[in-house]
Amino acid sequence: QALPSRSSGSSILVSPRQKGNPVLASLKSMPWEYSDILADYGLGLTTCALFLSLKYHRLHPEYIYTRIRNLQGKYNLRILLTMVDIPNHEDSLRELSKTSLVNNVTIILCWSAAEAARYLELYKSYEHANFAAIRGQQSTSYAEKLVEFATVPRSINKADAVALVSTFGSLRHAINADPEQVSVISGWGERKVKNWCKVVDEPFRVKK
Amino acid sequence: MSAATASAPQPVKLSLPLVYQQKLFEELRNEDELVILARGLGLIRLATNLLHSYDAAGNNLIVIVGAEDRENAWIGEALAEHAAISMTPKARGLTVVNTDFTSVSQREKMYAAGGIFSITSRILVVDLLTNLIIPESITGMILLHADRCVATSLEAFILRIYRQKNKAGFLKAFSDNPDPFTIGFSPLATMMRNLFLRKASLWPRFHMHVAQALEGKKKAEVIELEVPMTDAMKEIQTAIMECVEVSIHELKKGNTGLEMDDWNLDSALLKNFDVMVRRQLDPNWHRVSWKTKQIVGDLTVLRGMLQSIVSLDAVSFLQQLDTIHAAHSPPPGSTRQTQSPWLFLDAAQTIFDTAKKRVYSSNQKAGPDSNIDSLRPVLEEQPKWALLAEVLGEIDRDLYFEPAVRDDSNGTILIMCSDTNTCRQLRDYLQTMHVRPRTEKRIEEFHDPEGDKPSGAFMMRRKLRNYLRWKGEFAHVSATLFSENQKALSGAVDPRLAQSKSRAPANKRRRVRGGGNAGAAPGRLENGSIGQFFEKPSEVAELMAEIQITEEEAKQKDDVIADPLEDMDDYYQMYEMQDLVVIHAYEGDQDEHVLEEVKPKYIIMYEPDASFIRRVEVYRSSHNDRNVRVYFLYYGGSVEEQRYLSTVRREKDAFTRLIKERASMSLVMTTDAQGVEDPQEAFLRTVNTRIAGGGRLAATAEPPRVVVDVREFRSSLPSLLHGRSMVVVPCMLTVGDYILSPEICVERKSISDLISSFKDGRLYSQAESMFQHYKSPMLLIEFDQNKSFTLEPFADLSGSMASVSAANAGANDLQSKIVLLTLAFPKLRIIWSSSPYETAEIFERLKTKSPEPDPIAAVRAGLDNDTLAEEQAFNTEPREMLAVVPGVTPKNISNLTLATESIKEVANMTTEELAPLVGKEAARKMHGFFNKDLIDES
Repeated sequence: QALPSRSSGSSILVSPRQKGNPVLASLKSMPWEYSDILADYGLGLTTCALFLSLKYHRLHPEYIYTRIRNLQGKYNLRILLTMVDIPNHEDSLRELSKTSLVNNVTIILCWSAAEAARYLELYKSYEHANFAAIRGQQSTSYAEKLVEFATVPRSINKADAVALVSTFGSLRHAINADPEQVSVISGWGERKVKNWCKVVDEPFRVKK
Repeated sequence: MSAATASAPQPVKLSLPLVYQQKLFEELRNEDELVILARGLGLIRLATNLLHSYDAAGNNLIVIVGAEDRENAWIGEALAEHAAISMTPKARGLTVVNTDFTSVSQREKMYAAGGIFSITSRILVVDLLTNLIIPESITGMILLHADRCVATSLEAFILRIYRQKNKAGFLKAFSDNPDPFTIGFSPLATMMRNLFLRKASLWPRFHMHVAQALEGKKKAEVIELEVPMTDAMKEIQTAIMECVEVSIHELKKGNTGLEMDDWNLDSALLKNFDVMVRRQLDPNWHRVSWKTKQIVGDLTVLRGMLQSIVSLDAVSFLQQLDTIHAAHSPPPGSTRQTQSPWLFLDAAQTIFDTAKKRVYSSNQKAGPDSNIDSLRPVLEEQPKWALLAEVLGEIDRDLYFEPAVRDDSNGTILIMCSDTNTCRQLRDYLQTMHVRPRTEKRIEEFHDPEGDKPSGAFMMRRKLRNYLRWKGEFAHVSATLFSENQKALSGAVDPRLAQSKSRAPANKRRRVRGGGNAGAAPGRLENGSIGQFFEKPSEVAELMAEIQITEEEAKQKDDVIADPLEDMDDYYQMYEMQDLVVIHAYEGDQDEHVLEEVKPKYIIMYEPDASFIRRVEVYRSSHNDRNVRVYFLYYGGSVEEQRYLSTVRREKDAFTRLIKERASMSLVMTTDAQGVEDPQEAFLRTVNTRIAGGGRLAATAEPPRVVVDVREFRSSLPSLLHGRSMVVVPCMLTVGDYILSPEICVERKSISDLISSFKDGRLYSQAESMFQHYKSPMLLIEFDQNKSFTLEPFADLSGSMASVSAANAGANDLQSKIVLLTLAFPKLRIIWSSSPYETAEIFERLKTKSPEPDPIAAVRAGLDNDTLAEEQAFNTEPREMLAVVPGVTPKNISNLTLATESIKEVANMTTEELAPLVGKEAARKMHGFFNKDLIDES
């Protein structure tokens, strides 16, 4: 595959140690190049990743500790990209959880080479991204908001939400409606009516 | 009520007239056991009698676990009644402890005083752990819905705490649902272990004592009436079935890796088919494609339609279809991939067309020069209505010609149906069935007896008027809601306008099906989905005129939708029970009560319900002097009938299997002297090899302690931590879910939690606040025991450049969000756990060699200094709703919830009132959201 022209810093740095790793074959949508780095993958100025296959870890449990030690406390975010390729992974994962706490690494699990490659690509491409995507809702259209609002109480679905506002005209009327009035809407059974009226009137704060 | 003397310490009066009930009661008084009783045989009555016998003795503390609100109400009532009848001074009745309305100190006092308590499981477990209710002081526990008590459930946790500390107290478990006991490997034995019980007592309908009691001389008279469905109904049912079939096929195609041999049309009729599909998909729910999720949703909708076709009248059914259609029509610019597949089928077209034809159809007006066709109301009636009227007539004659032998029952006719909506429909029908809407002047026919045949015409016409009015408004509403759709629709949906010039008028209204130009058959959108159908205003006007209110109709009083009961005093008076028709909906155990109160002579079961038949049997057998005749209506060859038959069969099968398993069950002694073995002991306990020689090194040290947020008790993890002999300290935490040490704070997320909390940004702010108060915050991503331990989606990962580019940072998959989270919080550690069992082990390991957490500090973390802990507790649902409202941000929501009471209050506030709380711009947005009027606008 022809790679786009390289400019320094925009490609994933790969340690020559990783030669032969099937993950490299799956790295398709980001450029990568071999480079002499401490970690296995360099994903930015402050981010790096170590690759660990659990199969290998079981045979050589000390390997990963050496590698972590060799990082010498460099990098702010140190990913331990762990490939789950054995069925009885429990023991190893338990141990790694403890390790992550002690040695300041963040464990990311993946289940295939393709997924591992995707993680690497994502880390590299989000190097300078902002966090808006996980900071909460972006505004959407009224209809979507409405459906989202009305479907919070259990058992009320999309069609019910539409029926609700189409009967009452506006949300405010729907909220102020008596249970009797709501139950007339087609599709609104007893349980839905009860849930809706309860939630709408329920105090935000739990009374002590 | 007949009395039976019991071997209770004090003679009390019981209301258990039948032999099997008395036998069961004796059994329960003598030993601890699990009772599985066929539905309808009076489980609650048994429980209340048992409770009463303890209540009457006084000086006790009895806890009811697992009761629902309705059951609580009934148990309370029954206990009071019993106490009054047997005049026991010591009986104190039932105290219900639910949602956090009673304060801690109050609860403590109440528990100390004793009596019978029904406590919500979540509160009970916290109270037990904090020793608010002292396990040793409990006289006994009654567990209802024992079928829900799986190993990791809260109820099992409660029983374990109880049994660990209290070996003398009694424990009786009840269930009227044998189904769950037959799933899995030796389910009954497992369940018995969870319940710490050794004896199971099974009481199916075919049990000898039950059969004897119910099939004696006093058998109820049952008349079955099979009603054929109309052709239109059959056609719609077949079409829906076809849609179901195609949806199932799509599901199979999209999820090849899964076990789904029993996904077929037959099982699709079962009551719990969608639940079953969901359960099978559940292990992979976080991996299935968007489309699969949509189809699973569709199946629920389609099955709902199958139900509605028999229960709703033609007009309401059409109205429901309209709503379903509007809600499921594709968003603008979508391609076929993003839509419900069934909407593309011809069968879907049939559903909508036929449903419409049941209400109105077009015919050509007589007249040589007029080639405008008009709409005529058809208004097909439900076949059951006529039959119902007939049955009522028969009962009438019956009463007249052979005045009943005086007996204890009232002459009341009780009509039972499935829900309140059907109740309302039947009431309307019965009220108006003799009102004639005379559209044509047929005075000569006025006294024709045929003319007095009951019909629902009046009601249907009224419904149609309402429907047309509604449809007009609905056009507006969906225009505003789905305005983009509408643009597409105006081009494609009204093909009649465009085509009328070229086409012969006679053909105009006939929809082309199958034929026509391939992609753009009339009534379909450009992308092939079915378009919403709106009539031309002129046609509607004509139709309206056709069903003008006639004189007779005008005489009838207005339809009362909601009776505010304002002038209660003026109108209120007692009806004579002798000549009443009572319409009631099935309500589970409550129905027994209805029978006892109404004492009906005739019962019409408008819809089949297996357990109600048994209730009638029990009722009839319990009373020597009350005759009852039951009419039982069902649609032949309908889904309704099949469903009824299969529930009966399934219950029988379940009991048979249970009996077999019980016969071959090897029982482990669970309540032996050595102490209680945990249900998951084998799984949880591993030998700690680090303690050489088996010496108890940690004997002198403090037992390991974990501070757990009280909200977390919904999950099974606290129970498992407790099972690993850690001390679980329940607290109201603001930051984190589990505090393992003064430094380690864990936020637990199941996969679905994780997805939703990424979506609303909750996780981001939770992580922020954890970092403010703890040195080592951790995110626990916990998979379910039975779910596959992978995040890899079924879809292939041939990620293109676009899917990972930074510009596309809003990408939707979980992986990219996890990446963003770790980039935002490089010090946040992630624990991946394949099951709650694993989590418990990981916690244990993380805790080793670190100091124990301080509950008080944990509670204080994240609280403002001036607000009390109490005020920080929120009800989740209203808060979640509020969070969705535009203008509300994670920042101003706490302000808002502190200053206002409920959603209702917020919705009714003006912009000026809101502004000081959230700011001007946000206030405007919020006010706009609540007050946007969909009918007058646009």
